[in-house]
Amino acid sequence: MIISTAWLADYVQLPATAAELAERLALSGLNHESTTAVGDDTAIEIEVTSNRPDCLGHVGVAREAAVLYDRPLAVPDPRPLEGAEPAADRVAVAIESPEICPFYSARVIRGVRVGPSPSWLVDRLRTVGVASVNNVVDVTNYVMLECGQPLHAFDLAKLRGGRIVVRRATADEPFTAINHKTYSLDERMCVIADAERPVALAGVMGGADSEISAATNDVVIESAQFAALPVRAAARSLALASGSSYRFERGPDPAMVDWASRRAAALILELAGGMLDRDAVTAGRLASSPAEIGLAAERVAEVLGIDIPPERQRKILVALGFQPLDDRGRRWRSPTWRRDCTRDIDLVEEIARIEGYEQVPEDVAIAARPAALSDREQAVRRAGEVLVGRGLCEAMTRSVVDESLAGLASPWGDATPLVIAPPLVRGADRLRRSLLPSLLEARGGNVAVGNEDAELFEIARGYLARPAGADTAAGPVDEPLLVAFVTGGDFFRAKGLCAALLAKLGVPNGESSIDYQPASLDPFARGRTAEIVLESPGLPARRVGVVGEIARAARERFSLPAPVAAAELRLDLLAAGLGGARRLVRPPEFPAVARDLNLVVAESVSWGELERAIHAAAGDLLEACHVGQVWRDPERLGAGKKSFLVAVTLRSRSGTLTGEAAAEAVDRIVAECAARAGAALRG
Amino acid sequence: MSNVAGSPLDTFLAELERLRSDAATALASATDDDAVEAARIEFAGARSGRLKAVQKALGGIPAADKPAAGRSFNDTKAAVAALLESAQSRLGGGGGAESADTIDVTLPGDAIPLGHLHPITQTIRQVQEIMGQLGFESVDGPEVEDQWHNFEALAISPEHPARDPLDNFYLATARAADPLLLRSQTSTVQIRVMESREPPLRIVSLGRVYRPDTADATHYPMFHQVEGLLVEPGTTMAHLKSVLRLFASRFLGGDVHVRFRPSFFPFTEPSVEVDMEWGGRWVEMGGAGMVDPAVLAAVGYDPDAVTGFAFGLGVERIAARRYGVDDIRDFYKNDVRFLRQF
Repeated sequence: MIISTAWLADYVQLPATAAELAERLALSGLNHESTTAVGDDTAIEIEVTSNRPDCLGHVGVAREAAVLYDRPLAVPDPRPLEGAEPAADRVAVAIESPEICPFYSARVIRGVRVGPSPSWLVDRLRTVGVASVNNVVDVTNYVMLECGQPLHAFDLAKLRGGRIVVRRATADEPFTAINHKTYSLDERMCVIADAERPVALAGVMGGADSEISAATNDVVIESAQFAALPVRAAARSLALASGSSYRFERGPDPAMVDWASRRAAALILELAGGMLDRDAVTAGRLASSPAEIGLAAERVAEVLGIDIPPERQRKILVALGFQPLDDRGRRWRSPTWRRDCTRDIDLVEEIARIEGYEQVPEDVAIAARPAALSDREQAVRRAGEVLVGRGLCEAMTRSVVDESLAGLASPWGDATPLVIAPPLVRGADRLRRSLLPSLLEARGGNVAVGNEDAELFEIARGYLARPAGADTAAGPVDEPLLVAFVTGGDFFRAKGLCAALLAKLGVPNGESSIDYQPASLDPFARGRTAEIVLESPGLPARRVGVVGEIARAARERFSLPAPVAAAELRLDLLAAGLGGARRLVRPPEFPAVARDLNLVVAESVSWGELERAIHAAAGDLLEACHVGQVWRDPERLGAGKKSFLVAVTLRSRSGTLTGEAAAEAVDRIVAECAARAGAALRG
Repeated sequence: MSNVAGSPLDTFLAELERLRSDAATALASATDDDAVEAARIEFAGARSGRLKAVQKALGGIPAADKPAAGRSFNDTKAAVAALLESAQSRLGGGGGAESADTIDVTLPGDAIPLGHLHPITQTIRQVQEIMGQLGFESVDGPEVEDQWHNFEALAISPEHPARDPLDNFYLATARAADPLLLRSQTSTVQIRVMESREPPLRIVSLGRVYRPDTADATHYPMFHQVEGLLVEPGTTMAHLKSVLRLFASRFLGGDVHVRFRPSFFPFTEPSVEVDMEWGGRWVEMGGAGMVDPAVLAAVGYDPDAVTGFAFGLGVERIAARRYGVDDIRDFYKNDVRFLRQF
C-alpha cells in the first residue's frame, strides 16, 4: 500500500516529517518499505499485514497516525444531492448466491460528461502509482484508495435488461475483462451479470463491454460485499489480481460500503456533472458483527510483563475506535473495521503496539532448566563427525527429485514415490525415497566443473507412502532418517566408512551384530554390493544399510567416468543403539597369543562364513581375527580354490594363556572351519 | 573379491591402481639406494618399466574413454615420480646437503583430507547450542504433514491465503478431505510435541520447510527454519525479549539489543518481527510472539493456566549474512569449492 502524505493531510494534521511518520508507523505495525518524492508529494510504501485491511486505505492509515500522534481525525461525511427519480426505475438488483455476496448496492448517475480528471486527482493517483483513466473511473479508484472499499462503475446503457444479477459463474463460462482478454470461468467464482451475460468478475475486474467510455452518459456505481474465497479463486487461477481483489480477500470495513458509494457519487457529480437518482438499489443484508470483548484488569500485565495504567489502556482503545461498554474498561465492542479483534488477547496486542514494544524489558531473569540431546540428534552428530573426519563434505540436495531420479530403486521399499504439485523446481515433483540419486547427481555436477574428488555425504529424510491402515502417529508418511555418501574408490573404501560409522553409533556390540549380505539393487553394480543387516536381541533382523560400487550404467548416466562407491544407512534405526551410558571394559591384564592361519577354501566360500566358524570355535578366547591377503594360485592351491591369510588373536581374561590352551583353540578353529566350510590348513 | 571382467577402461584403471600401489609398497620398504634404483627400473624404466607397458595399453581404450584414461595415466605417472623422489630424498640420495637424519622441514606434510559440515548445518548447530544452554531441547518431526498440524492447530483458518494450493506443495494422494502437504513451517513440530507432552516445555524445532517461491538470490522453495517454543506458567513478552537478547548476544557477540515491530502471524498474539543490531544497524532476524490461546487450546492446554512464547528464524538468511553468501542458491549447489570454505 502506497500512502500520499498530501492526501493523508486531508484527514489528520501531523507534527512529523515523512521519515518520522514512516518510522513511527513501522514500529506500530505498518512496516516501512520505501519513501519516494513524487512532484510536491511524498509516497510512503508500507507493508500491511493480512489482518489489517483497514489500512488498505488512506483513512485507516490516518486513523493510526492520529492515535500515534494524539491528533484529531477528520473523515468527511458525503451527502450528494439526489434527484427525484428513484434509481430503482433504472436498474434492478438480485443476489442469487448470498453466501458469496451478502450485500450489493447500486447508485445511478445520469447525464455525466466523461472526460479527463482534474490535476489534483491525477496527481494523487500518480503519487500512489495509479494511472489516470477518466474522471469516473478515477473516482472509483480514488475512493477505494481512500477508504479501502473497492467500487466498480458500469455504463448503464450496456446493462441489458437493466438488470444486475449476482451469481456463481458456470463451468467454462466465457468472460472478456477490461483488459480485452477472454477468460474461462468456473463455479468457484462469482460474477455480476446483466439479463444475459457476465459484465464483471465480482470483486476482481470489470467487463470490456460495459466499461465507462467517452460515449457513456449514465453510470451505475457498484459497492458491495464479496466473500474472500471466490475472489481469491478467480484472482489466483486466472492470474487477475487487482487492488479490488486484494482488498476483498482481506475483508473491507462493512461500514464503508455505503459511505464509499455516496463518496463516489458526490465526487462524480462534482467532476463529471449529471444527476444522481434517489436512493441506492440494494439487495441482501450487510454482514457486520463487531465482537464484544471482556478485558480483565490484569490481562495486559500478564501478557506483556509491564504495567500500563488502566486509564492509558482505555485511552488507546478509544482512540483506535473501540467502544467501551462499561465504565471500568472491562467490556469493549470492536470497531467495524477491526474484524480481526475478537478476544482479549487482541486488545492486549492493540494496547502493546500503540504503547510501543520498547517499553517491554529485555533483561528479566530466565529460570535455568536442563536440556539434553536426543539419541537421534546424537546419532546425526556422530555420523557427521565420522564422515567429516574422513574428509567428506556435507551436501544438501533437494528432497524432491524428477521422475527419472525417483525411479531408481530404493533400498527402503518399493512404494511408489509420492508426487507433489506444484513441482519444487521445474520437473522435480517426486519425494525421494533415497538420497543416493541426488548425491550421485551432485558428484556428477562437481566432476563437470573439474572437482574430480568430490566426496559428499548428506543426512536427510526419505519419504515412503505408508501401507493402508498403518500407524500414522509419527507422521502421515514414513520418513526414515538417512545418511548417505558417495566416494571415489571401491566397495572396500565404502564398507570401511560404513564400519566406522556403525562403530561410532555403537554397533556391533555385545548384544547386536552386523552382517553384510550380497545384494542386488539399482544403482549399484551386481556382485559388488551388500546389504547391511542389524540383528538385535528380541527383534527381527533388519536391513539398516546398503553399500556397494555404483554400476557403470549409473555412472555414465551421472557423468562419472571414474569408479564411485556409495552407501546409505538408516540413522533412525541405528540411533536406537545409542541408548544408555557406555560401561568401561577393563583393558586385559594378561598377554595375548597371535597365530597366523593360512586357510584354503573353495572359491564359493565367503570370508563371512569362515569368520563365523572361527568365532564359534574360539568362543571367549577370541579377541580379534583379521583377514589379510586373499590369493589364488591354481598350480599351488588347485583350481577353484583360494586362500585366506587370517591373523587370530587369542587371550584369556582369567589368566595367561598357555601354549597348550592356545594350540587347542587353534585346533578347534581349524576343525570348525573344515567342518563348516571345507577349509584346509596350509603349511 | 572375485575377478569380474570389466570394460577395457576398468581393466586399464585397475592396472594403474595396482601399479601405483605396488610402487608405494616397494619404495616404502626400500632401505638403500640400490633397492630404490631397482624399483625405479621396474616401474619407471624407460624401456621395459611397467608404466611404459601400461602406456601401450592406452592404445586399446575406446575413443570415448581415452581422455579419462589419459588423465588417470598422467596422475599415476606423477604419483610414481613423487614416490621415487621421496624415497630418494629419504635415503639421502636426493642431492641435497642434508644428511640421512636431517629432513627438509619446509616440504609439505602428508595430505590429510579435511571434511566440512554444510554452513547451514553449522548455523543450526550454533543456534541449537545457544538455545540448549537456555534449556531448549532440540526436536524434529515429519516434513509431510496433515491439515491439522500444518494449519488448523496453528489457528490458520480454511479461508486463510496461506492454505491456498498455489502457496503450498500438496501431495497428489486421494485424501480430498485432509490433503497432505510438505510442511510450510516447523511450527508443526511444536504442535506434535505439545500434543504429547505437558508444560513446562522448552523446545527448538528445526529442519527443512517448503514454500513455492521462485528460486532467486534471496528465495529458494526449500529452506530451513529454527523455531523456539517456551510454555510455562507466568511467561510474558518480557521473557521472550530477554531470551532473544541472550540468544542474539551469544550468536552475534557483544551486548546486542533486540527490537520488536508489531506483525501478524495466525499462531501468535501479539505477534512481532524481531530486529537485532548487527553491523551497526537493525537487521530483521525472524518473527515471534506469544503463543495464541487458540493454539494452546488446540493441543489441550489450558490457556488460562499457562502462557508461552514462540519465535522463528530463517537459517539461510542468517547463514548468508554471516558468511557473506549473496545468493542463497549457492547453499544447494553442493560444489565442493564452496563447501570446503566453511
